[in-house]
Amino acid sequence: MGNKLGRRRQVVDEKFTRPQGLYNHKDVDHKKLRKLILESKLAPCYPGDEETALDREECPICFLYYPSLNRSRCCTKSICTECFLQMKVPNSTRPTQCPFCKTANYAVEYRGVKSKEEKGLEQIEEQRVIEAKIRMRQQELQDEEERLHKRLETGSANVNVAVADVEYSTNAAAASSVSVVEHEEIVSSQDSCATSMFRPPPPTVRTNRDDEFDVDLEDIMVMEAIWLSIQEKGKQRNLSFPDVTSGQYVADPHYALPVMDLQTGSSSSPSGGLACAIAALAERQQVTGDSSTISTSENTSFNTQGSRRYYNRIGRDMVSYTPTDNLNEVPTNDTVMTRGHGEWDIVHGQEVAQTSTSYASSAAAEDGDEISLPQSGDIDGGLQSTTNPIVPESFEEQMMLAMAVSLAEAQAMSSGHGASWQ
Amino acid sequence: MTSSSAAARKNLSKIACNRLQKELVEWQVNPPTGFKHKVTDNLQRWVIEVSGAPGTLYANETYQLQVDFPENYPMEAPQVIFLHPAPLHPHIYSNGHICLDILYDSWSPAMTVSSICISILSMLSSSTVKQRPEDNDRYVKNCRNGRSPRRQGGGSMMIKYSN
Repeated sequence: MGNKLGRRRQVVDEKFTRPQGLYNHKDVDHKKLRKLILESKLAPCYPGDEETALDREECPICFLYYPSLNRSRCCTKSICTECFLQMKVPNSTRPTQCPFCKTANYAVEYRGVKSKEEKGLEQIEEQRVIEAKIRMRQQELQDEEERLHKRLETGSANVNVAVADVEYSTNAAAASSVSVVEHEEIVSSQDSCATSMFRPPPPTVRTNRDDEFDVDLEDIMVMEAIWLSIQEKGKQRNLSFPDVTSGQYVADPHYALPVMDLQTGSSSSPSGGLACAIAALAERQQVTGDSSTISTSENTSFNTQGSRRYYNRIGRDMVSYTPTDNLNEVPTNDTVMTRGHGEWDIVHGQEVAQTSTSYASSAAAEDGDEISLPQSGDIDGGLQSTTNPIVPESFEEQMMLAMAVSLAEAQAMSSGHGASWQ
Repeated sequence: MTSSSAAARKNLSKIACNRLQKELVEWQVNPPTGFKHKVTDNLQRWVIEVSGAPGTLYANETYQLQVDFPENYPMEAPQVIFLHPAPLHPHIYSNGHICLDILYDSWSPAMTVSSICISILSMLSSSTVKQRPEDNDRYVKNCRNGRSPRRQGGGSMMIKYSN
């Protein structure tokens, strides 16, 4: 291809058989050079132009433009004769490498002016390179955008955590506002909204919670009440407990354990500890005069089962709480919850699937349009697990539990406006 | 700057001058991603700002490269160093010297400032750990006169980047 044209001997002006002074050539055999140029084995030493013109080729080393150039045998890249002479390092033990592809024993040949075919091929090649560059740019932009999105998402999630944290710790009413945040956040992934709260939590959140102890007496009361009412209704499904709880649930006791160990103290049975704790906290509440309106509203909402948000919350508390058999780790309960708020990943397909349990029936009835089945299912899991290990053993314990429950119920009765929190 | 002692050089050759002017024009038209040439009137010394590639250890970090061109550029490699502070990298000494073979023995006149920059960014991006070379202290101590890693015998640990 192009051989005929390229190999054709050109009449080369004598002055182009010598270097034009582009470099200070040393050790150049001028005789040999002249011979090679006259035999068309090397391109004539035309003076390079600084500006491009029609039918000119650029030497990729000196960036000057020439009527014709040599080609490397290995990779057919162009090079002008004077640059080529520079490449051959005199007195070097190493064979010269091709400056373009690093092939050893660099050698060039001269085919004259590039044929049309060659130029066409080169243009196609250039076009491909340009296209590839454009693709690269596009990919870069796309990646950057994705990264930005991710950063924004995590950023907003963090904000939510902060909000949830603060509000929840100030009072229990915050549960409702937290829920609002959740529901906004979860619009895009409805199925996972209930279950996403059970994500294994980042441990950092937890430390903040340990000092907020007496805030959640209400929670404990409510939990106890739930437990009792369930028990009374004879809806125990102890056997199903291990199946219902998923890995996420199981993980929670581990978080809770250290706290619990510190506080369990002398209780002889699981429920004994529970009852003691309730009693102790009840006393404490009276002393400190904690506002009861919040707790009552919570109780109400629970008793009427009208608020799915409370379901969520309570259910979560139960879940994290029950396996440890101790009421005292209120902070842990909080923690579990807050952690849940922080992360929105879609995890719990199975949990959502396990919604049709005893609790769900009543909950669904009460909730009406609100699609709360997943949540109630979660609660159910928690509740069932509660019923399993906690059975009051001594008379005292039973009494204490009963007291706690009646207290909770009384509060629930006295202020029946749980709906306002929804 | 220890590095510039060797660069008390002669002026650029005609061919070097011509090539650098064209490289600069090409750079302005199509700069390599992540690099910014700081405009000066000195063709022989370029200062280039490098931005760490996103998703790498050096993301959101910027460094400055100083590129000094020898009289016989491009037949000789330019001297490329990081200005203080040099990035923490197993092949970048604290004095800014870079262990990269294309800057020394594997230099080819077919390379350009742009291609050097891409190689350096690639070197940064492929790093899995932010640390100095093992022999950093010894090297920097012996290097007051601004010699390059090649002449220090540092080539053994040089990263090989063909092309």
